[in-house]
Amino acid sequence: MRLRGPVLILPLLLSGCDYQTYQSIFSGAAAEVRQFNILFVIFLVICAIMYALVIAFLIVAILRRHRAQANVVETGRHHESDPSMRTGLIAWGVLVATGLVALAIASFFTDRSMAKAAASEKLSITVTANQWWWDVQYNSAEASKTLRTANELHLPVGVPVRITLHSNDVIHSFWVPSLAGKQDLIPGRETDITIVPRQIGIYRGQCAEFCGTQHAHMALVVNVDTYADFLKWWGHQLHPASAPTAPLAQAGYRYVTTGQCATCHSIGGTSAGGRVGPDLTHLASRRTIAAGTMPMSKGNLYGWVEDPQSIKPGSRMPTIGLEPNQLHAVVAYLETLK
Amino acid sequence: MSSRFRASLLALGLAAFALAACDREERHSRSKPLGETIPAGESPDTIWPAQGSPPPPDPRAKLYDNNAPAMAEGQFLYNQMNCVGCHSHGGGGMGPPLMDDEWRYGGRIDQIAATIAEGRPNGMPSWRGKLTDDQIWKLAAYVRSLSGQPSKDAVASRAESMSATTPQTLTPREPAHTSDTADQ
Amino acid sequence: MRRVRTALLGVIAVAACAGLEACNKGQPSTAPIKSEPLQSGEHALPASAASPRDDGNWVMPSKDYAATRFSALNQITPANVSKLAIRFTFSTATTKGYEAPPLVVNGTMYLITPFPNFLYALDLTKPGAPAKWVFKPKPLAASQGVACCDVVNRGAVYDAGKIFFNTLDGQTIAVDANSGQQVWRTQLGDIQKGETITMAPLVAGGKVFVGNSGGEMGVRGWIAALDEGSGKLAWKAFNTGPDKDVLIGPRFKPFYASDQGKDLGVKTWPPDAWKIGGGTVWGWLSYDPETKLVFYGVGNPGPWNADQRPGDNKWTTGVFARDIDTGQAAWFYQTTPHDIFDHDDINEIILADIPWGNGRRPVILRPARAGFFYVQDRRTGQVLSATPYGYVNAYRGVDLKTGAMLPNPDKEPKQGRVTRDICPAAPGLKDWNPSAFSPLTGLVYIPHNNLCMDFGAMQANYIAGTPYVGADVKMYAGPGGNRGAFTAWDPVHRRAVWEIKEDLPVWSPALATGGGLVFYGTMDGWFKAVDARTGRELWKFKAGSGIIGQPISYRGPDGRQYIAVVAGVGGWAGAVVSGKMDTRDPTGALGFANAVKDLPMKTTAGGMLYVFTLPR
Repeated sequence: MRLRGPVLILPLLLSGCDYQTYQSIFSGAAAEVRQFNILFVIFLVICAIMYALVIAFLIVAILRRHRAQANVVETGRHHESDPSMRTGLIAWGVLVATGLVALAIASFFTDRSMAKAAASEKLSITVTANQWWWDVQYNSAEASKTLRTANELHLPVGVPVRITLHSNDVIHSFWVPSLAGKQDLIPGRETDITIVPRQIGIYRGQCAEFCGTQHAHMALVVNVDTYADFLKWWGHQLHPASAPTAPLAQAGYRYVTTGQCATCHSIGGTSAGGRVGPDLTHLASRRTIAAGTMPMSKGNLYGWVEDPQSIKPGSRMPTIGLEPNQLHAVVAYLETLK
Repeated sequence: MSSRFRASLLALGLAAFALAACDREERHSRSKPLGETIPAGESPDTIWPAQGSPPPPDPRAKLYDNNAPAMAEGQFLYNQMNCVGCHSHGGGGMGPPLMDDEWRYGGRIDQIAATIAEGRPNGMPSWRGKLTDDQIWKLAAYVRSLSGQPSKDAVASRAESMSATTPQTLTPREPAHTSDTADQ
Repeated sequence: MRRVRTALLGVIAVAACAGLEACNKGQPSTAPIKSEPLQSGEHALPASAASPRDDGNWVMPSKDYAATRFSALNQITPANVSKLAIRFTFSTATTKGYEAPPLVVNGTMYLITPFPNFLYALDLTKPGAPAKWVFKPKPLAASQGVACCDVVNRGAVYDAGKIFFNTLDGQTIAVDANSGQQVWRTQLGDIQKGETITMAPLVAGGKVFVGNSGGEMGVRGWIAALDEGSGKLAWKAFNTGPDKDVLIGPRFKPFYASDQGKDLGVKTWPPDAWKIGGGTVWGWLSYDPETKLVFYGVGNPGPWNADQRPGDNKWTTGVFARDIDTGQAAWFYQTTPHDIFDHDDINEIILADIPWGNGRRPVILRPARAGFFYVQDRRTGQVLSATPYGYVNAYRGVDLKTGAMLPNPDKEPKQGRVTRDICPAAPGLKDWNPSAFSPLTGLVYIPHNNLCMDFGAMQANYIAGTPYVGADVKMYAGPGGNRGAFTAWDPVHRRAVWEIKEDLPVWSPALATGGGLVFYGTMDGWFKAVDARTGRELWKFKAGSGIIGQPISYRGPDGRQYIAVVAGVGGWAGAVVSGKMDTRDPTGALGFANAVKDLPMKTTAGGMLYVFTLPR
């Protein structure tokens, strides 16, 4: 699309309306979003012109009729064809047809360039949506390098990444506005979306299809890094959790691996292997808790572990009713999971 | 009786009828955790010497019996906590069937909850400390529904996996009976 | 003009043939590796060192180290078998699946029962064979809760005056064969992790070889060797994990490239998945005294939901050859890399010699669960042929150039969906119940299934001590409507010679005798004798319960030939009866409930020994 340069100005102007760019469809942080923005602008311009013309004709028609009524008595000549009217109608038809064809061509080219990106994927991620969190798995040709994490994506800039989408329960929708459009995750089906991020930064996504009580608290953080940083992150995430040294954290480790936590959560390098809830191996390195419900911090961790049902009522994590010293131990251990 | 009076009586009757169904959908997600509410080793039918009577059912049972969200959550937990691995969808396998009317350790909801929490000698694992009591009661509510005991309007609907048994909303209601505990 | 056209067509034809040739070079080849044409009359024979002269006893479940399950006794023949009659019976006082053979050693018969694993000794010298003693190991009752497929025991072994057997809760016990006193007891398995032991040990070279069960429980599979005299652990090799745990060292020479590499037991699994990855050893072991190698098959990877464990998942669903003294692996062949159908590879491994070129080649014969009859070189593991012995649509064949199993992508189960009409079903074309090999006919007598399944994969949650499966399965009869069959297979010519269709899956092992007969049982209780050459049914007897146990033949103290079998339906196939399941749930017993819904109408649980002989 050679119009990229001049046409991009409009969304940039519009983006000035947003006070943030981390969750904005006008941010242009990925190739798909830029292409989509161009298409959006074309549609907007053409439709705006047509709208203006229609309104203009409407105003003219109202004024003309008004003026005609004031001077001339009904002559009974409505049904005669007026040459200028006929020319006008034909011209209007041609204009509409041209406009529609232009929209179709623009749409076709956008679709094609998006599909071209999909064909050249270099990185494969599988995202499985649950109520109400995201299970993320990075796939690799060597099985021992596959990575399972949750609620956060790290992507390398400029590399086409194909995200395969599954759902374990109901229909969800994967939407990171700054990077791509929406794509549904449908139980029993496999859908996919391809993203080529173009700007380094941190972006927010969320579930865009109503999926139950906590649909509003099902967000996703996407970090776009340089390729080298991305590989470093992947390598670090593959490390199992290291055994804690402080006595409080060790007590927390014992509780987490033998109590209720291990029934649903897995922590690499320990006996906890549950898959009902998110993988916690590097919990403390994430930016948010519970799929974007709260930012990661010590206080929020305390609150979440002690009483998740008051923060995210209806979520699958039960309120256990830990004793205070158990809570201190568990949070101390979770904080070591960097 | 004036027609107006009859109309308002009818309206009152309908309202009462509608409200009666509210219990079925009661959720208590924000309530305090239940703590140690599952009675240990709730006895199945046995001899109560000297004309004794069975202990009264646990009062917490009312919260979960015939409660639709509890059974739906129990259905989720039944699959995720691997109950389905031993008991299938009620047909049994490594463990005894749960969809028939024979209960070795009792088929009341508090007896089933006690079985889940305590474990039983021939291989039923003990889940106390691994699941919260709220989760165990929900599982007990669902297990009870596998054998057609709770009312039809509360049972969980067909699961979205391979169609296995007849949906519980279509099976006839059956009361629980006992069976031989030495029966392995 | 016509001549030019013909010439042009000729050129095109030649070019096309050459082009196709070139195309074929890169294609997988399922055609068996060629050997020279056979001399007529030559057939397969058991490996001689592993199958000594028959002394009339039956000291190990497989009869000999070559796993022939052949008794050379020939008093009972096709001519007189119709007169075969009951001599005595014995109730084992258990009603679970009975898979073990009776052992007979010099006038005493030993019976090992399913849980609670009683060991009886019957005095065959006295009329009615009264019990001399019974040994009760008292295994933990909770072990019944982690045994996937009924609480069976596949047999005891006699060696050097002791009887060796395993208990369900993971112990190996040695009992004095005369007195019934315990000699030693070693705890090998941990039921808290979901481990049990159901297999029959192998005793060779002064060692007792034991493997664990629990591939459906998230267990890590292993094989261990205990010292025969003391019960102390000599070595233990895992079947997943780093090379040092799998005892892979400089001796290891796998034949195919896909099995070569360092730490493949870690690299072909997602991180940590190999620790709970299955690969158990719950089936049969064979031993070659010439090379001192023990051969065994490895069970399925866990969980059944394969989407949770991308990669080849070494070293599961394959065959290992190990040195018996050190446990070091000599070679390995992976029958189904990244198994997606629970096609454990633990079936019997028959050691044989087949005609090859101008001489004979030492091979192993394996009617595998995946549906192919494998003939492999015993020294290297090279696959010489892999031929389906029933209907298979789950795989397209075995590529003999790379050794790889060629999957059928249409039949691959995916998480969240149901894949239908997969043949063979999860128990495979043949499950654990072993075939018999007769040196008289050179045929392998295969008792097997004809089942297909629907498989719905879902997420499996790992909680130690609970099932780790992730699948809903429903099985039903395969093409033809019969759920089982008994096939006589020629391993050299790679074809069935005769086949008997059975209504129910044939879950009983086979016995071949020197008189030219083959014995097997059906799940509804018929114990049958058929002619080894033609398959004609010559005699049958209706036992009180379905038969899934190994029939044996022995020479009694009076010199007569006896046939003995214990009838007690159960196992995975018979769990509907022995586990008192509800047949309204088709997914019960990991899918078997749907296949044998009618079994409770046809038989009931039991545990009765029947001994037959010809009347005087």
